Amino acid sequence: MKTESAIKKAALLEGLRVVRPALIATFTWGLVTGVAMVKSGLTEAAALWMTFIVYAGSAQLTSLPLIATGAPLWLIFAAGFIVNLRFVIFSAALAPYFQKEKWYKRLAYGFFTTDTSFVLFMPKYGDAKERGTLEQRWFFLGMIIPGWFAWQISSVLGIVLGAMVPTEWSLEFAAVLALMAITIPLANSRPMLSCMMITGAVAWVTQGLPLRLGLLVSVIAGIVSGIWAEKRYRKRRS
Amino acid sequence: MTEQDWYVYGAIALLTICTVLTRSTFHVIGHKIPLSEGVRSGFRYAPTAALTAIIVPELLPLSSEAGGVIVDQRLLAALVAVWIFHKTRNTMLMIVGGMVVFWVARAILQIL
Repeated sequence: MKTESAIKKAALLEGLRVVRPALIATFTWGLVTGVAMVKSGLTEAAALWMTFIVYAGSAQLTSLPLIATGAPLWLIFAAGFIVNLRFVIFSAALAPYFQKEKWYKRLAYGFFTTDTSFVLFMPKYGDAKERGTLEQRWFFLGMIIPGWFAWQISSVLGIVLGAMVPTEWSLEFAAVLALMAITIPLANSRPMLSCMMITGAVAWVTQGLPLRLGLLVSVIAGIVSGIWAEKRYRKRRS
Repeated sequence: MTEQDWYVYGAIALLTICTVLTRSTFHVIGHKIPLSEGVRSGFRYAPTAALTAIIVPELLPLSSEAGGVIVDQRLLAALVAVWIFHKTRNTMLMIVGGMVVFWVARAILQIL
């Protein structure tokens, strides 16, 4: 019978081993996000606050063009929330693994959950008979702790570098390219593609609406068209 | 703090609430609300739609002052970036390549 600390240590190291290849990607993303924040007009102090307390790269990148054009705060909240919706699904799937913990610890486990940690955790423990074991929690910690450090170190580095780069380089455009790099791989099915095309068309036409309300209109159009296309596609195949 | 500071820090605070709400709600409350298939499929399309809706006006802005569409280095850089991603599946190469095209095209447009 292994002792408790031996289980913890083994699980922590296993998590670290599994997450290590992904840390390079985390690092580069953090760097890009750091540069993008200051180049989109955030002060270095604001960018530091953002990286440390928001800790959500895609929502941060999404908010930057909105902040730069002075969109209303509720819309920034809505856009960030929508981009983060995937985490609701992650949280629903991961919650059973942390049920035995106190509420504030569960809150913390949730807060530090990243795409990578979810994607690597589920294949390993998704079918586990017992959920919420010590091993599972420490394996998760072994992934999220190095992930957090890789992200924050590279973000801070990006903020420092971004402040040194002249504005004429227009590095804020790198933020748009980074958003594209997140978005394009999502187009992995026909319904998703039609969602993107409808959203894009509506977003283009409605961009003149005040308060960037076109964003909301086009997102609704995109969701409806995605669900509609999914239903049609399924019917045709069956 | 200036008004702009309040605005930016307000946005940061709200985005933090976004992170906590989306990542931790189920962790904290447990399985009291089941996620139906309909909700899940809405959740699948919403992020893609939001990202697309942010990107499109950045690449192809409409301007009433300039009298319509502004087509410049941004669209070209984006198209080349998509092509690079399609060929290499490498996001960093895509971002760097897109920036290089952006700079070169802008320089050419300025000379013209």
